[in-house]
Amino acid sequence: MITTPEVERDKASAPLLALDRIEKSFGSNQVLADVSLVVRPGEVIGLLGENGAGKSTMMNIVAGALQPSGGAIHYAGAKRNFTSIAEGIQAGVAFVHQELSVIGSLSVAENLFLGSLPRNRLGLVDFARIYAQSRDMLDAIGATWIDPKMLAGTLRAGEQQLVEIARAAARKPRLLILDEPTSSLTPHEVSAFLSYVSRARAEGTAIIFITHRLEEAMTICDRLLVLRNGAIVSDCAPDDTSKAQIIRDMTGKDSLFAYRDRQKHETEVALALSGISDGRLIEDISLTVRRGEIFGLFGLVGAGRTELLETICGARRASSGRMELFGQVHVPASPHQALRAGVALVPEGRKTAGILPQHSVRRNASAASLRNMGGGVFVSAKEEARKTRAELRALSVRMTSDGQAITTLSGGNQQKVMFARALLSGPRLLLLDEPTHGVDVGAKSELYEIIRAAADQGLTVIVASSELPEITALCDRVGVLSKGRLAGLLEREKMNEETLLRLAFSEHEA
Amino acid sequence: MNLSLRTLLQQREFSVFAMLLLVALYLTISNEYFLSHRNLMNVGRQASVVAIVALGQALVIIARGIDLSVGSVIGFSAVSSALVMQATGSDVLALLAGLGAGMLAGALNGLMVTRLRINPFIATLGMLSVARGVALLMTGGIPVGYSGWAEWLGAGRVAGIPVSVVIMFILVAVVHIVATRSVIGREIYAVGDNPKAARLAGIDIAKTRMAVFTLTGLLAGLGGIILAGNLASADPNLGMGYELDVIAAVILGGTALSGGRGSIIGVLIGAMLMALLSNAFVLLSISAYWQVVTKGLIIIIAVGVDGLQRGPDADE
Repeated sequence: MITTPEVERDKASAPLLALDRIEKSFGSNQVLADVSLVVRPGEVIGLLGENGAGKSTMMNIVAGALQPSGGAIHYAGAKRNFTSIAEGIQAGVAFVHQELSVIGSLSVAENLFLGSLPRNRLGLVDFARIYAQSRDMLDAIGATWIDPKMLAGTLRAGEQQLVEIARAAARKPRLLILDEPTSSLTPHEVSAFLSYVSRARAEGTAIIFITHRLEEAMTICDRLLVLRNGAIVSDCAPDDTSKAQIIRDMTGKDSLFAYRDRQKHETEVALALSGISDGRLIEDISLTVRRGEIFGLFGLVGAGRTELLETICGARRASSGRMELFGQVHVPASPHQALRAGVALVPEGRKTAGILPQHSVRRNASAASLRNMGGGVFVSAKEEARKTRAELRALSVRMTSDGQAITTLSGGNQQKVMFARALLSGPRLLLLDEPTHGVDVGAKSELYEIIRAAADQGLTVIVASSELPEITALCDRVGVLSKGRLAGLLEREKMNEETLLRLAFSEHEA
Repeated sequence: MNLSLRTLLQQREFSVFAMLLLVALYLTISNEYFLSHRNLMNVGRQASVVAIVALGQALVIIARGIDLSVGSVIGFSAVSSALVMQATGSDVLALLAGLGAGMLAGALNGLMVTRLRINPFIATLGMLSVARGVALLMTGGIPVGYSGWAEWLGAGRVAGIPVSVVIMFILVAVVHIVATRSVIGREIYAVGDNPKAARLAGIDIAKTRMAVFTLTGLLAGLGGIILAGNLASADPNLGMGYELDVIAAVILGGTALSGGRGSIIGVLIGAMLMALLSNAFVLLSISAYWQVVTKGLIIIIAVGVDGLQRGPDADE
């Protein structure tokens, strides 16, 4: 753990930011109530809380994107109220959002200088200069391997995230707000990034860190702040609390993330892959999954987890190899055909690949099974309402009505609706790609229960995840992918974090 | 009750309907001829072809596509139908030829979009030129005389109401039910809302897109037969510029160009408003050239208002 020496803390003890009884309401819906907080220069604060707890609202108020309904903000010793993001940036507040805003068709360097591209004497972009400066900007946050001349679109999600962090860091902000900065980074990238955090801290930058990764927050933060239902429920140093306590603070209850030994599953083979390749990103993968099993697919970002699931669900063609589903040859030409064969997918990236944003909760849930709602050409509104309500209730989706827009639900509840959509189609094989990405701890444990319950009833589940705790909490067996190859298959007894990581990196070292 | 009134007021259809009433009221006051049976039937006839073709166009746009070729397909279908009539003397064959020609062009549009993955804008822009060219080649550029059932469709009346208006109302009802209650209709909205999500959810998006383009071609074919029947002649240049009216009607009716949103009733209102506006130009004896300018302005304003309401965030 890195701690700021007491001397330095004292020297810079005048607060940089002070929130005094901030309130925020949207209409009649109060999102923040009486939130007070003091941030000193050089402090790293972890902001934790379930989705919908008010973290983003609070940070948007600090950054100037939203105006508080009540209370006062003091910044750098004066009462300030940023009326726009631009004003916040002027005053030294940088906010790196979770959603990537890198422009894929431009180079990394152009992205870094977007909006203020320097010009040479001819009035053209001074590329020599931006390439050189970009190199320094990327090195400063430890992303030494990213070439500024590369097209940003060719970078992995984690690398794009680093480009955004580099852009924010280059402004030498006094207050840096990071929304889930490490959620798509590989361990190597995380450690590079964390070394930047400790340097920035030494230079007096205050950092507020929104994260769902408790271990990480406990390692690097000076203080952990837990928000629940728009109010701060705890504010203490990592040494004065524990993981279990934080989870209790966040959810108001204890969480069960331990593997629960499940009954011996059947011996019937649900899915058999032999020598599956797609010619690009996955190579020669052979494995079998038994009926009722929860099978994990672990790997680093870019290991081919998503691609393998896409091949099984027909979104991607296998160039060679053979798939069998319950003993029958399985060659789906589209997700539509796979669905008819009983394969349902909950895709990665709820916002881009999951929800239908202009549709209601009910219609999002029924989208994959309209043919089973009244049978045939027409959809029976009654049957649709009945079936979806039953499923949404079974998954305890929290909403006021199933007619409300899906976008008004929190991330965790939206994800439950995605589960409802997949389950309503009556699958024999359920594919889950990063099923709890960006979902809070409470919803996570609920989703785990849903997955276990489905498997207990005989549904075969494949969970692709880059989160080790998720794999170890859920899976009966795991296949580890490394650079598109199957690096190993582990039974429950041999599953531990060290072995999983070693296998995940195996092709990288070769 | 209060809530439902508010949602009604927020609907795009409602504001367009209010505009329709305003124009009608103004014309009633300013021109005694407006409310005459003959004039109203003329307006209805004018609205009918635009509305019929716009029904398909609306579904295409809801599925996040666009079909620029409808005007040319109208001409191509009319000519095909009239030539078959001339050659065979069979009303049935002529009708089938017209509808079939439209469907063929629509299906080709669909194939270009789904198989060759050509952007709908470009695919149908190409078809706009190809279909018109084929119509000119088939006739040597000279209009073909056309009589028979088509005349009844284009100029006939049922209980004093033009046949084409009756067809329009029937088709509006059918397409409305298909759009809101059928599996394919619901899948059209899903595909337009988020194509990637719809595909991964197991919706057959290629089939959905094929269906909307083919249907639009079919309806443009019907539109061509009605227009040619009304003139008793199939001009290879028939339907020139119609795509503008059709797309304007769809957009005025509240269908979002970004896909996933729109209503069939709105399309009907949009088409009637377009017809009423051209009628206004005639009744108020304003230069027809102004009408051309106004049509373009209406599209720009309708989309502009929509853009302003959504705010800058929609560009993200």
